[in-house]
Amino acid sequence: MSAPGKIYSAPLLVNWSLNYSCNFSCEHCYSRFEKADELPAGQVLEAGRRLAQAGVLFANFGGGEPLLRRDLLAVSKELTALGLSLSLNSNGWLLDEAAATGLRDAGFVSIGLSLDSHRPEVHDRFRNRTGSFDRVVAAAGHLVRAGVKLTISTVVCRINHRELTPLLELAKRLGAAQVYLHNFKCSGKGLEHRFELDLEPLEWRDFYREALGFAGNPDWPEISFDDPILASLGARDAEHGIPGSTCGKLSLHLRPNGDITPCGFIPLVLGNILRDDLRTLWRESPVLESMRHKTAQGKCAACGHYAACLGGCTARAFAVSGDLNAPDPHCWENPCG
Amino acid sequence: MELSERYRRRPGLPWREEQEAAREALAALAAGRDASGEGTLLVVERGRITELNLLGGEIWKLCDGTRDVGAIVEELLPRFEVERDELTRDALEFLADLVARGWVVPA
Repeated sequence: MSAPGKIYSAPLLVNWSLNYSCNFSCEHCYSRFEKADELPAGQVLEAGRRLAQAGVLFANFGGGEPLLRRDLLAVSKELTALGLSLSLNSNGWLLDEAAATGLRDAGFVSIGLSLDSHRPEVHDRFRNRTGSFDRVVAAAGHLVRAGVKLTISTVVCRINHRELTPLLELAKRLGAAQVYLHNFKCSGKGLEHRFELDLEPLEWRDFYREALGFAGNPDWPEISFDDPILASLGARDAEHGIPGSTCGKLSLHLRPNGDITPCGFIPLVLGNILRDDLRTLWRESPVLESMRHKTAQGKCAACGHYAACLGGCTARAFAVSGDLNAPDPHCWENPCG
Repeated sequence: MELSERYRRRPGLPWREEQEAAREALAALAAGRDASGEGTLLVVERGRITELNLLGGEIWKLCDGTRDVGAIVEELLPRFEVERDELTRDALEFLADLVARGWVVPA
């Protein structure tokens, strides 16, 4: 059985899907088929108070498109006042100059914009929205001019894995401080389109080898991955010292109705932020316990990297096998094992 | 760095005390064990988690700009079994590191 690394008293980060409603219908979307009532503003604030009291430091809004919530800025201002450090991910369609200054004034420390290709037609097709490339480029300009830290969020998949350099060049031109390379998740529409969009394990290896060449280079935006299978390239995010997936060890996810899941891609409900004590759940949840003490299965059993990667991304393994302990389907190690 | 200087934590830098770990470290100290390797307070910057030990965490919490370094040492002396000179040296060294990181700023 694996050692989880250090487990702190509460999550540091909560990824918070405020709403699943969206003005886009992207090919990979994990949440398109999800349904959950949205909490009204008062209950969002109560949820935020409970997060802050438990010691959560960061909340990152996703969804869904967070900017569809008309109360977003007002609620965010109050959440910031509670001490939460806020960020969000947006497709950029609604992010005009006024929205950019509003987000800045509400206290957001970083805004992530989805941008999946330097080629407008490729991005638009992936996002299923003509003009979305132009709108997200414009949104980036609004954010940078407003003085908000810009992160470009890219879902790495078959449409873009061989075009990293031009994508990073575009991100740099846009003024991005960071490029977050999200690994493709086989959840929701991502599972439906897995065979056309996901890469083969060796393609993932080659992509990461290339991407790691840009990491830590001050000439480029900061590159972030958060993919535990990087351990087999000796490049796992060393700064947090947590082996394997960080979900359930450093972070949790909130659904729009306040239900708590280990991450946005694992649909196992642990409790509800308005009903349950977060620190108790964090300490005692059997699901989190099993995620923190995984057992090597299949090819992982004999793999020398297991202590560092703990089977890779638990969400991907669970999505394709229904087993939290199964090997990550992206893993390129021991392909015949 | 002088004992008369005042520092405060950089506004907006996320941090959290791990209260259970701090209690355990205090209990270890009371029992005469070394707890200097135990992290009791977390500072998170750019995704990197840094753990401060009990003494570092207490200095950190006192860096609110209302007291100078000498006052911080005086406040901690009764709580740690250590000579004044040693604590002063440790506090100055620790604060110099925090200044270099940009985690505390002159008040």
